[in-house]
Amino acid sequence: MRWNLAYRTLLHDRGKLTAGLVGVIFSVVLVNLQGGLFLGLMGKTSTLIDRSDAQIWVGHRGMRNVDFAHPFPERWQYVVAGLKGVDQVEPLRVEFAEMSMPDGNFETVVLVGVQEDSDLGRPYEIVTGPADALQKNDAVVIDDCDQDLLRDPALNELREINGRRIRIAGKSHGVIGFLANPYVFTRYEQLAELTGFDRRDTSYLLVQLKPDADADAVCEAIEARLPDVSAMTASQYAWTSADFWIRRTGIGLSFGAATLLGLLVGLVMVGQTLYAMVLDRVSEYATLRAIGLNERELLSVLIMQSAIVAIVGIAIGFVLTVVLQGALSTPKATIEIPTLLYLGCGILIFVICLVASALPYLRIRRIDPHVVLQG
Amino acid sequence: MNTNSRPTSHPTSGDINAFAITPRNAPSDSVAPGAVLRAEGITKSYVIGGTARKVLDGLDFRVDYGESVFLAGPSGSGKTTLLSILGLLLTADSGELFLRERRVDALSAEERSQVRRDSIGFVFQRFQLIAALSARDNVAIPLTLHGHPLHQARGKAEELLERVGLRDHRLALPGSMSPGQCQRVALARALITEPALILADEPTAALDGVAGRAVMELMRELTTNFATATVVVTHDPRIFPFADRICEMENGGFK
Ligand SMILES: Nc1ncnc2c1ncn2[C@@H]1O[C@H](COP(=O)(O)OP(=O)(O)O)[C@@H](O)[C@H]1O
Ligand SMILES: [Mg+2]
Repeated sequence: MRWNLAYRTLLHDRGKLTAGLVGVIFSVVLVNLQGGLFLGLMGKTSTLIDRSDAQIWVGHRGMRNVDFAHPFPERWQYVVAGLKGVDQVEPLRVEFAEMSMPDGNFETVVLVGVQEDSDLGRPYEIVTGPADALQKNDAVVIDDCDQDLLRDPALNELREINGRRIRIAGKSHGVIGFLANPYVFTRYEQLAELTGFDRRDTSYLLVQLKPDADADAVCEAIEARLPDVSAMTASQYAWTSADFWIRRTGIGLSFGAATLLGLLVGLVMVGQTLYAMVLDRVSEYATLRAIGLNERELLSVLIMQSAIVAIVGIAIGFVLTVVLQGALSTPKATIEIPTLLYLGCGILIFVICLVASALPYLRIRRIDPHVVLQG
Repeated sequence: MNTNSRPTSHPTSGDINAFAITPRNAPSDSVAPGAVLRAEGITKSYVIGGTARKVLDGLDFRVDYGESVFLAGPSGSGKTTLLSILGLLLTADSGELFLRERRVDALSAEERSQVRRDSIGFVFQRFQLIAALSARDNVAIPLTLHGHPLHQARGKAEELLERVGLRDHRLALPGSMSPGQCQRVALARALITEPALILADEPTAALDGVAGRAVMELMRELTTNFATATVVVTHDPRIFPFADRICEMENGGFK
């Protein structure tokens, strides 16, 4: 009967129910989208890592961010290749450069030099142009999401990088980093030609392991043999790169604050709705007290109501989130909502709704059943 | 006890034949001795504007099994206050209260709700039905508080609604029923657990003469059937004939 009482009373006051639901839905959507945007953005800090097949990244000692690499001797690859558990090693160069624009301006780009026949380090898939676009001597590959930034280069258009002529030989789709600077892919050798990068050096060594090898043990072995490098598993380096940006920009704080605000708005709206519902029905609650419901039973009615508002609101919020994610997520502004975020957000908001019933409960506690007789 | 007893003839149910009055049980002989409710030396003051004002002044009162006692008297004479104290909705400043010979004036709030739930049915001036619940569910509430499953409580509620002539309204919401119908629903709600005591505060004040009379006849009939004692606060002389005994209040005591 209490269940009956709870949901029928809720349904009886559609206006207030709607207000409560809007609060929950707002919270769910805001938290999920904020969280999703944050995770999407953080995901971009490790684009090169996530899109390569390497299990271990070896860079200069103290490496913190995949886009900012410090060179070290390329020949160390043979040391790494000789270690137990290592199947394959491949160097990768990353360097900043300037690309000329037709209007006479320049864009700073992140030049990535990959081996032509790379198995490990090729972070792009060509969607416009020939698959072997980089074979040509002066070829570079850009991403079509950077079309605007690079002033709409056509396929085979000629540009200059650091004053040397190059050709846009192909375009990938959706390879976007955390930096506002576009990735430009070129052959490993050509990167040195374009930038004056020392040919004896490299930025990273990408390692693929033998099937049974233990990644952490190999990392330790690499660092033991080569004191001037750091070796991390791909996921460790991805975390390290994300952590670099979170710490340096305080971006976590601003997203966190917005998310917290969303939760707060939800809390206030649900609490206020339930409170208003109780205020409207003080005499009904007093009647229930008079005919023998105790405080605990009234509280359980309130909690059921919060739970109903929470569950229905969260469900609608999830649907709306999926719709909005589909509509709003782009490679540039990726909204990445893992199941865990949905789950965490759902549980958090459910708990908040239960907490929100504390406010009306305080009012209910003060209800004196005697008032029903006092007209 | 300084009560003003007045023998009255029981009203006939001649105008509304459907509600035949069945012979009264004699519970005081067969069920339990003594009073259903006994109050001794009840005092209650309210502090109004800084000064305490005695509303009830050392009042004695009792209701026997199956008896219907009316509390009459001018507005402000303390009828509702007394009824609230008898119904354990309000605590007296001093005095003793026994419900079926159990001392109940010093119980905790939770114990008092338990006593109300177990032994007392209330009928209020303005019905106090739950707006979102159907007539049937309103009536069923007290029974579910006793732990009966909902379907069973609803079944009994429907039976009772049939007896108060509201079979067709069992699924109606209170907002769609007339005041007289609402009060009949409230009466069914008060009676569904067959409590030892029914307390009614001006049950006919919001009703017109015909509806008021119908409600009182029903109350009379049903409380007779269930051997329930009733205390009815009223200043409506038209329903005085339904009383076994009338106590007139004045200046914190009985006349
Ligand atoms: N909660 C209260 N606070 C202060 N005074 C009250 C309160 N309830 C009732 N009174 C006073 O007590 C007196 C008796 O009230 P009440 O019992 O409601 O009388 P009746 O029901 O006979 O009209 C009145 O003078 C009223 O003003
Ligand atoms: Mg009164």
